[in-house]
Amino acid sequence: MSYQLSKPGGFARLAVHVVTYAVGFTMILPFLWMVTTSLKTRGAAIDPEGSFLPGGWPWEWQWGNYVDAWMTASLGRFYVNSLIVSVVITALSGVHNALAGFAFSKLRFKGRKITFAMMLATMMLPYQVYFIFVYVLCGLLGYVDNFQALIVPFLASAFGIFYMRQAVESVPDDLLDAGRLDGFSDLELFLHLVIPAVRPAIAALAMFTFMGSWNSFFWPLIVIDSNDLYTLPLAVNALANQYFTDSWPIQMAAASIITVPLVMVFLIFQRAFVEGITLSGVKG
Amino acid sequence: MFGSTKHQHRLESRNAWTFLAFPVLIIVLFTAIPTVAGIVLSFFEWSGGGAPRFIGLKNYEALFGGSTTFSHALSNTLIFTVATVPITVVFAFLFAVALNAKWFVGRHFLRTVYFLPTIISIVAIGFIWRWILDPSDAGLLNHYAGAALRGVGRLFGSEAMARADLPEFLGNSPLGLTTIIVVSIWRTLGFSIVLYLATLVNVPQSYFEAAAVDGAGPWQTMRHITWPSVRPMTIFLVITSTISALQVFDIVLVMIGTNEQPWTDVLNLFLYREFTHNRLGFAAAIGVVLLALTVMITIGQLLFLRQPGRTTVLRGLRRGRG
Repeated sequence: MSYQLSKPGGFARLAVHVVTYAVGFTMILPFLWMVTTSLKTRGAAIDPEGSFLPGGWPWEWQWGNYVDAWMTASLGRFYVNSLIVSVVITALSGVHNALAGFAFSKLRFKGRKITFAMMLATMMLPYQVYFIFVYVLCGLLGYVDNFQALIVPFLASAFGIFYMRQAVESVPDDLLDAGRLDGFSDLELFLHLVIPAVRPAIAALAMFTFMGSWNSFFWPLIVIDSNDLYTLPLAVNALANQYFTDSWPIQMAAASIITVPLVMVFLIFQRAFVEGITLSGVKG
Repeated sequence: MFGSTKHQHRLESRNAWTFLAFPVLIIVLFTAIPTVAGIVLSFFEWSGGGAPRFIGLKNYEALFGGSTTFSHALSNTLIFTVATVPITVVFAFLFAVALNAKWFVGRHFLRTVYFLPTIISIVAIGFIWRWILDPSDAGLLNHYAGAALRGVGRLFGSEAMARADLPEFLGNSPLGLTTIIVVSIWRTLGFSIVLYLATLVNVPQSYFEAAAVDGAGPWQTMRHITWPSVRPMTIFLVITSTISALQVFDIVLVMIGTNEQPWTDVLNLFLYREFTHNRLGFAAAIGVVLLALTVMITIGQLLFLRQPGRTTVLRGLRRGRG
């Protein structure tokens, strides 16, 4: 070929690297600070001459801060609460959203356009307008101060259905027609042909859902009163003001405890996640 | 034969509704109906118990009739939105282009790094940033940047500067709001970058080749080819991030608290306080204002941004050649 794709000159490339790495550094620095501080003694954390890393060998670091944070706030129970809620929502809403997305994309039925349009419109509604009556409704159903309130309203989402519909659109109709000729029912088409084709999108949506639910703050704050039922963010936030106020390292240990599982999940599923976003081609 | 297709259609329709019934029920029950009810409630006075009392437009009169809390919360929310949305979208695009370039060393690693703040729990973000910005010497920024400032002061023999502390970053001041804006951009940038990256992959290589054949430089290529090509995603991001910026809540809650501070109060926080004080009708009215604001701004953006994306790309291509 007689041309080369244009590419910035050496100096511009260097400048782009410097700026992007500098900003990237500020992205990761607070996170590193959180982890390193969580391993320091109280004194070292606020020592004006202190170093960034906790001094000494890893076995000399203050791993006990994690034990302290965990025990004083009895985080174990809240961990389990958060896990139950997030896993149930991610699994069930994944199934519901995928089925609905499949129906909207590949099945012909009366009222498809209008139902889909109305569902899209609900995505624009700010939750501030409706949460009051969701609260009232949860009261009527006996969900208030109960796990159901944290789970049932999230068992399907307009965003998730829209996202899955976009992903399923990319599955060729020919493939499904061939399946129909082989005598597959609609459900079998979904299970055997659609799901394998959109697996990355399902992974990405699962990741979004899990993150959203694990970090969810406003709604649990509104609807949960009993300490026993607190989710992790709620518990850590509430207890921060009671037990940890005088110790940055223990606060940071608690913050790490909430954060680390998500980072692990992200790092494990990162490839599928990025691929899923790419495939679905969310295009406004 | 004809009868069997008809039968098939009926079967398909029935199956579709079987798949849709539960998800649609959830959305109708927990979003659609409560929204209508919320709008109705905004014309009532209700504490949650007993019968709601119809009071017409009183709630709205109270809001627009000189409530300073409301006007502060409203203007802060708008400032927050106007500041965060364009900055996030433009920088997300620029960084996505950099992190998409084949010549960028370590781009896969940096993509992960940029996404990190998006994953971290808002509560942890509150902890970390409150500490970094703590005005005492225990605060990291004051500790290092403040020390540097005082060092410079001593160097030039300025007494006042040598003893200066950094300003209160989370105080009740324009600076407080700016801090919230900066931390919020820090938190959401990675998400927009990932979405841009996903779109950049789909831009046809032939566009870039055509630009290269015509001798367009890298800046021209980005400006006239890449930017118009990802326009649909830009529109998507502008609209969705505006909607979520108008709903700003948790970041202010964890960094400042729920108490009213004129410079950092936002609509959603105001609404939350009214809700916890059992003034449900009044809270609903604030929610309706947010809804009206969202709908108006979104429709405005759609009208303003709507242009056939394809012709824009072609025009860009032509301009890239010139």
